[in-house]
Amino acid sequence: MLQVRRVSKIYEGKVAYRALSDIDLTIEDGDFVGIMGPSGSGKTTLLNLIATIDEPTTGEVLYDGKTTGKLNKNELAIFRRRELGFVFQDFNLLHTLTVEENIVLPLTLDGNKVSEMKQKVKTIAEKLGITEIMNKRLYEISGGQAQRAAVARAMIHSPKLLLADEPTGNLDSKSAKDVMELLERINREQNATMMLVTHDAVAASYCKRVVFIKDGRFYSEIHRGDNRQAFFQKIIDTLSLLGGHHNDVSSIRVP
Amino acid sequence: MTFRQFAFRNVSRNKRLYAGYFLSSLFTVMAFFTFSIFAYHPVLSGVDSSSVTFALSVSKWIIYVFSFFFVLYSMSSFLQSRKREFGLMMMQGMTTVQLRLMIFLENMMIGLSATIGGIALGLVFAKVILLTGENFLAVNEKLAFYFPYKAIVLTLLSFLLLFILISFFISAVLQSGKLITLLNGDKQAKSEPKSSVLLVWLVPILLGTSYFLSLRAEGLEALLLLVPVVVMVCIGTYLLFTQLSVYTIRKLKRMESIFWLKTNMLLFSDLAYRMKDNARSFFLVAIISTVSFCSIGSLYGFQSMIGGHNVKDNPYLFTYTTTNGYSDEQKNIEQIDRSLKEANVTTEKAFLNLAYYKASNRDATIAVVRLSDYNRMTELMEMKGIVLSDGKAAVVDFGLSRIGQSMLNQPITLQPDVVIEANKAVVSPAVHGINGYFVISDDQYAKLGASVQEKHYYIWHGPLGQKQSITAGGKLSNALPYSDSYEFFALEFQNSVLDKLFGPILFIGLFIGIVFFVSAGSFLYFRLYSDLDDDRRKFKAVSKMGLSEKELTKILNRQMVLLFFAPIVVALVHGAVALTTLSHMFQYSLLKESVLVLGLFFIVQVIYFFIVRFFYIRQVKLAIV
Repeated sequence: MLQVRRVSKIYEGKVAYRALSDIDLTIEDGDFVGIMGPSGSGKTTLLNLIATIDEPTTGEVLYDGKTTGKLNKNELAIFRRRELGFVFQDFNLLHTLTVEENIVLPLTLDGNKVSEMKQKVKTIAEKLGITEIMNKRLYEISGGQAQRAAVARAMIHSPKLLLADEPTGNLDSKSAKDVMELLERINREQNATMMLVTHDAVAASYCKRVVFIKDGRFYSEIHRGDNRQAFFQKIIDTLSLLGGHHNDVSSIRVP
Repeated sequence: MTFRQFAFRNVSRNKRLYAGYFLSSLFTVMAFFTFSIFAYHPVLSGVDSSSVTFALSVSKWIIYVFSFFFVLYSMSSFLQSRKREFGLMMMQGMTTVQLRLMIFLENMMIGLSATIGGIALGLVFAKVILLTGENFLAVNEKLAFYFPYKAIVLTLLSFLLLFILISFFISAVLQSGKLITLLNGDKQAKSEPKSSVLLVWLVPILLGTSYFLSLRAEGLEALLLLVPVVVMVCIGTYLLFTQLSVYTIRKLKRMESIFWLKTNMLLFSDLAYRMKDNARSFFLVAIISTVSFCSIGSLYGFQSMIGGHNVKDNPYLFTYTTTNGYSDEQKNIEQIDRSLKEANVTTEKAFLNLAYYKASNRDATIAVVRLSDYNRMTELMEMKGIVLSDGKAAVVDFGLSRIGQSMLNQPITLQPDVVIEANKAVVSPAVHGINGYFVISDDQYAKLGASVQEKHYYIWHGPLGQKQSITAGGKLSNALPYSDSYEFFALEFQNSVLDKLFGPILFIGLFIGIVFFVSAGSFLYFRLYSDLDDDRRKFKAVSKMGLSEKELTKILNRQMVLLFFAPIVVALVHGAVALTTLSHMFQYSLLKESVLVLGLFFIVQVIYFFIVRFFYIRQVKLAIV
C-alpha cells in the first residue's frame, strides 16, 4: 500500500545536513510497523515524509503506486484528510474545541453531514471508551484520555494509514499501555494499517514488526512472533547493539 | 459541527487570544463613530459653522484611512503568531481555500462585533464628551445629545466595508508556506538582526538637518520647508527604529562589561529582535503621536496667541478712537459712559490727544502726545511712566515696530520755537496701533499751535474678568458699529467672540489628539501582548536556572520601558521642535502651551504604562509558578 523508494532528505542551510539516505520501506494493508532508532536517527523525518508534511530531496513516496510528490497543495490537503490519520506525542488537539468537536474535525473539513458525523463519532467513542468525556474541553481531561481522543480523531474517517509520532511519550505507563492496546486492537479488528515512531521498547513491542534506522540509514528489521515478551526482548537487544541512549542493557543477556 | 460552527467556536472559545485585536478594532470604530456624531450634529452643521463640520468630516476620513492600515497591520501580525495553529489544521487536511475561508470568517466575526460594540460604546462616549464640551469649553451653543441615525448607518456601512476588504485582502495574500515550516514556526532560530552602517549614519544626518532647518527657519520659510522636513523626519524616524536601535544594541552587546553584567544579557539579547520586529509599529506610533502633538499644540497655541495678543496689545477694557471734528463724538462717549454705569462695570476713564504736526525739516507728519496724558495711561496700566530729561522728548513704538530707533537724536522742527529731539525710544501698548509718536513735556506741548489733525483716544481701564463687561461690550459694539469716523473696541467681548469661534475647533483638535493618542497606545499595547507567549516561554526556562522574582520584574520593567517609551520620546522631541518652529513663525512664545500639551500626553502615557506593566508582569509570573 505504501512504498518508500530510495528516499533521501538533505536539510539545506549554512550547515547542510543529511537526515535520511536511501531509505526503502514497504507497508502492506493491515500492517503495524514500528520505526525505532536513537535520537537524531531520522525517525521523525521519515514520518514527516510519509505524512506528506515534508518532501524528500530525492526518491519518492508512493501510496497505492501513486507518488505524492506530484500532488499540489490542495490535493495534498485533501489526501491527508481522507487517507491519513495522525497521533502526536503532545496530542495536538485544538483547545478551543470540545473532545467531540476535535474528533469530528477531519470530517467537518471534508464537509460531511452533521447526522453522519454524529453517528460516526458515537460509534468510535464507544469503541474507544471515551463516551463520557465527549463534551469536555481539553483542560478537563487527562493525558491518557486526550491521547485516546487523538486516536479517535485519527481513526474517525477510516484512513488508509494511521501515523503515530511517539504516541506514548507524554503518558504514564498505565495510559501508555491503554493507548497501545487500543492501537493494537484497532489494527487487529479493523485491519487498519499503522505506522508508529517511538523510543519506547514497550510501545514498539505491540507492533507486528519493527524497523530500526541509525544515522539516517536502514539498520535492521525484526518481526514479532506470537510472543510479545520475546519480541520485547529482541527489541531491547537490537537497541543495545544500536547504542541507543536509554533502554541500554547488556547484550550478553540470553533471551 | 459544520465548518462555520468550527470557525465560530475557534473564536468564541478563545477570547483572550483575539481580545487585543478585537479591542484595537473596537477603539478605531468608536473614534470614527464619535467623529461622525459630531459631524452630523444639528448644531454644528448649522450655516455659520460649516468650516467646523468640514474639518470634522476630513478628520473622520483620515481616521478611516488610518483605521484601514491599523486593522490590516494588527491582523497580519496576529496571523503571524498563529502559524503553528494553522499548521495543525492543515495536518488535519485543511485546504488553503478552507484556511482562507476560516480567516475570512473569523475576521468578519470580529469586525462585525467590533463595529456594533464600537457604536454602542461610542454613544456613551459621545454623551460624556458632549457634557464635557458644554461645561469646560467655550461652546456656548448647546451641544445636546441626539440619536445619531445617520452616523450609525455611516459607521456600520463604512466599517463593514473596511472589514470585508481587509478580510479579502488578508486571506488572499496569506502565504501558507510549507507545512513543515508552519509546524516548526516558533522553534526555528532567527538570524541576528543586522543593520547597515550607512543607514545608521543617515539617521543623525537626516534628523539633524531637519531640526536645524526648522529651528533656523524664520517667518514664512517654515512653510516652504514643511514638505522636505516632513519627508526627512519620516525617513529618519523609520531608520532610527529599524537601523540605529539595532546597531546600538549590537554595540552594547559587544561591550562585555555591560552585556555580561547580571541580567543585562537577558534584556539585550531579546531587545534587538523586539526592536526590529516592532520597528514598523514604533514608526507608525511615533509619527501619529507627533502629528497629534503638533495639531493640538498649534491649535491651543493659536488660540492663546490671539487672545494673548489682544490683552497684551490693548490692555484697556474699552477703547474709543476718533479724529477731531466728528460731530457725534460727545454723544458716543456719553453713551459708553452711561452703558458702563448701567452694567455696573468698574472702569477708570482716561483721555489722550494725539496731535499731528507737519515738521518743517522733514517730510512726514509727526504725532505728539503730552507727557502728563501719556503717564496717566501708564499709571492706569500700572506700568512705568516716562521721565523726560530737560528739553528732550521720547519716541514711543507699539507692538513689533521699531521705527522709533531711527528717529533718535534727530532734531525735528515743529514750529520755529518748538524743536523736539528724542533721546530715548520706548515700546509701550499705551496707545494701540500707533507707532513712532513723540511724548513731549507739557511746557513744550503748550507752546504748540494749531495741529494738522488730532486723534482723540478714550480709554476705560478696569480689572479683567468682569462678566458684565462682556455683555455691555456686546451691546455697545452693536450700538457703535464699524465706521470710518470712529473705532470702538471692547476687549472682553472680542475675546469671548474669539473663544466662541475657537472653542469648537479647539475642542475638536483636542479630541482628534486624544483619539490618535489612544489608538497609538493601544497599538503598542497590542504589540506588546503579542510577545507575551515568547516571554513566558523564555522566563519559564530561565527561572529554572534560578531567577528571582525581583530580577524578573526588573528585566521586564526595563524591557517594557524601552519598548513603550521609545516611540513616545521620539514623538515628544519631534513635537517640541515643531512647536518651537511654529512659535518662531508666529513670533509668539508657545512654551507654556507646548509644555502643557506635551506634559499631559507624557503623563497619560506613564499611567498607561503602569497599567499595562501590572498586567503583563502578572501574566509572565503566572506562567512561571
